[in-house]
Amino acid sequence: MKPDPMDNEHSNALVVGAGISGIRTALDLAQQGYRVTLIDSNPATGGLLNQLDYQFPTNHCGMCRLLPLVHRDQSSQHCLRKGIFHENIDLHLSCELQDLSGEPGNFTARIKEKPTWVDPDRCVGCGLCEQVCPEEIPDCFNEGLSRRKAIHLPVPHAIPNAYVVDLAFCSRCGACEAVCPTDAIQLSDVNRKAFSILVVDDELSIRDSLKEWLEEEGFSVDMADSGKAALSALEEKEYRLMLTDIKMPEMDGVELLAKAKELQSELNVVMMTAYATVETAIETMKTGARDYLIKPFDPETLIPMVVRIFQDVEASKDRVLSVDTVIFACGTTFYNPADNKNVYGYGIYPNVLTHIEFERMLSPAGPSPEGLLRRDNNKPVKKIAWIQCVGSRDIQNGADYCSGICCMIAVKEAMLARQMSGGQIEPVIFYMDMRAWGKPFQSYLDEAAESDQIRFVRCKVHSLSEDSETRDLVLRYMDRPGHAVFENFDMVVLSTGMRPGPDMARLAEITGVGLNPWGFFDHLPFEPARTGQDGIFVSGSTTELRDISESMITASAAAANASGIIRKQDAGQKMPALPVLPEKDTSREPVRILPVICTCNGRLEAAVTKKDIEQVFDFDPDLDDPVFIDRLCMAQGWQEMKDHLADSACNRMLIAACHPYVFTPGIRRLRDDPGVDPAMVHAVDTMTPLFSTKPEKAEEKTLHLSRIAAGLRQGAAFLKHAEPASRTETAMCQRVLVIGGGIAGMTAALAIAGQGFEVDLVEKEEQFGGNLNWLSSTLEGHDVKALLEDTLSRLGKAPALSLYPGARLVNVTGTAGHFRTVLEDDQQKGVSLTHGAVIIATGGRESDTCAFLHGENDRVITQKALEGKLSEEGADIPGTVVMILCVDSRVPSANYCSQVCCPTAIKQAREIKRRSPDTEIFIFYRDMMTCGFSETYFTHARNEGIIFIPYSLDKLPEVKAIEDGIQVCGNDPILDQSLEISADLLILATGITPELPEDLAEMLGIVRDKNGFFNEADPKWRPLDSLTEGIFACGIVQAPRSVEKSIGTAQAAAQRAMSIISQPRYRMDRTTASVRHAICSRCEACIPVCPYNARTLNTEEDRIQVNALACQGCGACAAACPNGAAILEGFSSRQMLDGIDAVFYPLPN
Amino acid sequence: MALTTRITVENKDFLAAARHFLIDVLNSDSIDAIVVPLVSEGGHSIMPELVTVPSRLEQADPLSPCFPMNSARLISRLTRKPGNRKIAAVLRPCEIRALVELVKLKQARLDDLIVISMDCLGAYSNKDWTLISASGPDNFTRTFYEKQLSGRLSEEGEPEITSACRACEYPVSDQADITFDFLGTEITREFHITGKSDAGEALIRDLGFETSELPKDRGARIADLTARRLAFRDDMFARTREAVAPLDKLSVYFERCVNCYNCRVACPVCYCRECVFNTDVFDHDPFQYMEKAHRSGSLRLPSDTLFFHITRMAHMSLSCVGCGQCSNACPNDIPVMEVFRLAASAAQDGFGYIPGIKKDDAPPLSEFKENEFEEVVGI
Repeated sequence: MKPDPMDNEHSNALVVGAGISGIRTALDLAQQGYRVTLIDSNPATGGLLNQLDYQFPTNHCGMCRLLPLVHRDQSSQHCLRKGIFHENIDLHLSCELQDLSGEPGNFTARIKEKPTWVDPDRCVGCGLCEQVCPEEIPDCFNEGLSRRKAIHLPVPHAIPNAYVVDLAFCSRCGACEAVCPTDAIQLSDVNRKAFSILVVDDELSIRDSLKEWLEEEGFSVDMADSGKAALSALEEKEYRLMLTDIKMPEMDGVELLAKAKELQSELNVVMMTAYATVETAIETMKTGARDYLIKPFDPETLIPMVVRIFQDVEASKDRVLSVDTVIFACGTTFYNPADNKNVYGYGIYPNVLTHIEFERMLSPAGPSPEGLLRRDNNKPVKKIAWIQCVGSRDIQNGADYCSGICCMIAVKEAMLARQMSGGQIEPVIFYMDMRAWGKPFQSYLDEAAESDQIRFVRCKVHSLSEDSETRDLVLRYMDRPGHAVFENFDMVVLSTGMRPGPDMARLAEITGVGLNPWGFFDHLPFEPARTGQDGIFVSGSTTELRDISESMITASAAAANASGIIRKQDAGQKMPALPVLPEKDTSREPVRILPVICTCNGRLEAAVTKKDIEQVFDFDPDLDDPVFIDRLCMAQGWQEMKDHLADSACNRMLIAACHPYVFTPGIRRLRDDPGVDPAMVHAVDTMTPLFSTKPEKAEEKTLHLSRIAAGLRQGAAFLKHAEPASRTETAMCQRVLVIGGGIAGMTAALAIAGQGFEVDLVEKEEQFGGNLNWLSSTLEGHDVKALLEDTLSRLGKAPALSLYPGARLVNVTGTAGHFRTVLEDDQQKGVSLTHGAVIIATGGRESDTCAFLHGENDRVITQKALEGKLSEEGADIPGTVVMILCVDSRVPSANYCSQVCCPTAIKQAREIKRRSPDTEIFIFYRDMMTCGFSETYFTHARNEGIIFIPYSLDKLPEVKAIEDGIQVCGNDPILDQSLEISADLLILATGITPELPEDLAEMLGIVRDKNGFFNEADPKWRPLDSLTEGIFACGIVQAPRSVEKSIGTAQAAAQRAMSIISQPRYRMDRTTASVRHAICSRCEACIPVCPYNARTLNTEEDRIQVNALACQGCGACAAACPNGAAILEGFSSRQMLDGIDAVFYPLPN
Repeated sequence: MALTTRITVENKDFLAAARHFLIDVLNSDSIDAIVVPLVSEGGHSIMPELVTVPSRLEQADPLSPCFPMNSARLISRLTRKPGNRKIAAVLRPCEIRALVELVKLKQARLDDLIVISMDCLGAYSNKDWTLISASGPDNFTRTFYEKQLSGRLSEEGEPEITSACRACEYPVSDQADITFDFLGTEITREFHITGKSDAGEALIRDLGFETSELPKDRGARIADLTARRLAFRDDMFARTREAVAPLDKLSVYFERCVNCYNCRVACPVCYCRECVFNTDVFDHDPFQYMEKAHRSGSLRLPSDTLFFHITRMAHMSLSCVGCGQCSNACPNDIPVMEVFRLAASAAQDGFGYIPGIKKDDAPPLSEFKENEFEEVVGI
């Protein structure tokens, strides 16, 4: 059985990058019913998150929460770190986008599949190859901190998990090929002889050694001593690769490159150069060179590069795909601290690690499962320092930006390290500003400081050295009173910042998507997911490093934009229908099961006999005699199985082979051919224990037989009581209610209406626009007023959009798919509406304060009031201005950062300076939250003479009214001296207060957090979902954020809602709870235990109801119900009980 | 604050005084009917009746140590849905606790109910009651109370109250609206009636009773009685633990069980409309019996007696109020209550939950706490 090869010529969307953002985008589109091709250059899905076991702010994983909640049957329902299956997603790993042409709705993408030398369809992950491989190399999964073989599992936990060969390190000894039981390894396909290389250098010694090295690797090599000689060689013979020196007499390498390309346009050229001419070499990359080598180099540098080119050119398979839209989700990489001056001795001192390396150290599957040990002497680590902003906020390093999430990563790592050591480790974080900008981050930080006793030291570390005797790491830094301090640590973790992915420039080149000044993909103003190229979108960290929550939001926003393009193509006509079910429902026929047993190339019979297996079913009349098939995982075996099934009179089939996941897609396809309900087929794992051991002794064989027997009997029990796929279809109300007409609500409404679905947009004020009515521009200088005008005009034109200004909700009933809402306007006139989904966008406002004389003294105003003053054309603000940030913010009563106030302060301060350059501006701040690229404006502001003075909660600035002004007294922490400023104007940044009235929350059955914000289903993975299915939130009612980010959340929430309402009908998924009303005692025990609020008591009919869309099949209700009136379809008590019974099955004697 | 009134007993006939009070209650405008144990027509038993005519209450025996069934389930039938009549019910403390559990399980309502209770000095099993009540129910009740309150325990050879009653740590109900308080007084001369809830107080006030104080040493008497019962209970737990651990001893414990399910029928908190053991959930295919027999050479039939009891423990032990009706109902004298209370006490301690005591405490399984029992689940 082979999964779909890439034979679908057309796909609706191509998602490049299968990290969590790519998965989110792909799932969003797939759930809506579109066909998605998901590719990744790595051999596994999951991206960076594969290496991170624990993520802030929950300190665990939870990636499974990405899985679809409606139409669940179309997807796998298991740990997403292991892999992803979805009926509508074609996943292709080790693939790169080579070329893209065309236009939205009709792109042609050329995709190159890199060989792994192991056929993933044949590899069963037995690991025999790894045992015999003689080549041991650093393991990149563990960031090189442990070792692996040249043939290896790219990610240890993936399922199905196929081995890959790192050809750069493979000695081609053939040992693995010889032991592979399924002939999956195909090293012999490698024909290096046909790969002809031309070496051009005027120095004979270089030519000779290159020829020797390359021929040893099996390549054919010719030599030329000058550019001229090279050209004549090229005229005579076709070469695949030319290695040429740059500095040669007469014709230099650059000229040769140009001429050679004229002769053989497909020729790959690598430039060889001395260090002095590296710049020239880099330049040649733009004129067609593939790579360059810096002389002198050794075979260890040369060979992997040549092998990589050989692999790319010779062994890759190209595929061409037509797609409507392309989404990039290719993420970022991290700064390498060994680059440039390497001030922290990374790679030199063994106990200096990057934060990703440290994550691997924390992992039980990492290089140090026995705990955190020093890399030099394996002694337990007692004291760790984190150095923040390594390669971020670093102008000398070309990184005048903040990487956004390293502060929280460091806090998390420090917490975990301390907790894992049972409180033995002393963590210290050296930082500049602690950027706890996300809604839950401040509380997380406080908890870390309190319960995990993390020491925070605010300073830039002066230097790091190693004690030559103890090999302790010595940090030299300045403490607050200004004294130099030397402190010893066992380990230092460098919080390295983001860098564009290695492929980003190339992808920008082939797609025409612009890059921002720092080399990341650029997006349009106010459109976080849209690029300058129509139909090409960006998801997740492609534009800058993001945390999980922000990645999920941009991923769904990208999906919303992409689905708009797709839907325009088919105008909603070709929206895929629900999967067709087999005509015949065999579930009520007398049970007859066909057991199909894979013998795995003789491996099964090495352990047990066929007769043993036949005896397992001796007593059970419902099972036919088992059919034994060799290698069911292969197409031939799978066909054989289908033939057997067709010939038999059986109505159910039990497959016994290796990983059941391997067979899941194939079992799904049985629905179409030969028309078997996948619910009537079940796969059990009887083989994987036999991969690692070969039983010899009688008792070992008995043990294996008992395991196999238990598996078979559990599978049979499962099948006997299997319920068929539901045939009942329910109509979906394809209409969405959006509550709140600010920028988030308007954007969400437009995104949905733009796809032709009806939307009702309710706003309590007469005027739409919310906070945009008083904002004029952003920190970056984008025009907010123009945005508002444009949005309002689109609002007026959208055909499927009904506007309800001056209205409010008075009643909401129903559940996902069918909510009923009553609205009332000012005159108490009621309107009744029905919806499939609801989006809450009720927003927020600037917080009030009575601190610092606000409300008493006219010279003390808030940022909003200043925005009003500045909006007056030509108004300048002379004299001295003081700003105080974090007023009543990030304090216990409102313990969150509002994200917008620091950028607003910088924006306003710079605007004041622009109008009246002589105005003196002082800004009192706690931590400047200029995350991401807004950092650069912070730099500008400092350069423009705006003075920033940090303060802490224990030393708040003091404000008093004086004659003709305001006096602000503060403390300069560096000099530890008090300072007094006489100001003409004092601006207070008070942050954002959400507006989600309690009665509205109650009506909708959603929860507010302790600060009054919308409480999301999961702060990382489902940031915009509520726990009640069908209700979503966006904008600042969910969390404080900028206008641009709010727009992102609005598009994302729109997409989440459209995933539910896009299909006009829905079926109950297989694993969904239901009620046997006849025996239900209405004790209602099942209602509060349902974590998804899917169960309600219908008082009119006096019965318990289950909302099939909301129910996720967790089974909490079935566990709470004492008499089995609450049941979980697909996990019946009979299946469970008989399954348990099967484990105690007596062995045939 | 509770409101107490003193009742003077004439001719040492405290039963008559109690009956008189019930007649007053039924005669009041606010009560339409009273559920109370009554001497049955044949005069041999005492069974609950729903009484609307005051004269019928002359036969009431609200204090009888006869306890044929736990009336909580009967009250559930009367109150499950809203009606427009107000009922009073005379219930033992354990019946009230069971009723409170049924209310939490949405099987009963307290809205139109006045619960009257008493200092419960225990009851006999149905078998013992039949043996010793030959003298007539009325007289027996009087002697029983006099004896128990004066500390004269049962005489040699005479049956004792059930072990459930002897192990009961709640002889006094705080959940009742009105209680008959005997402890601490000379019952043949006087006792007290206390209104414990607002509704109870209002009723007593409406009936025109004067307020008075409870006797001073009542608290000490209750503490003394409770202490004796706790000592018995802990001893009982120790004995039972010895008898049922390890698990194979538990099957010996229940070896006389014939799957009659009487214990389940008698259990006041076993509320399912249709027990799971009556459904197809635990059905086996014929071949499964054969296989099981094959496995161990023989298979005891019926095969799922122990499974039945363990399932019932899993379902009901959080709500078990220890009334002992399961043992009372067992035709084969299996000490069912002992093992149920043992399992229940562990389960209830685990969740810090006492069934039937606080109306506002949610049943533990209705609440999901993410970080609970970390030492058990290991995460």
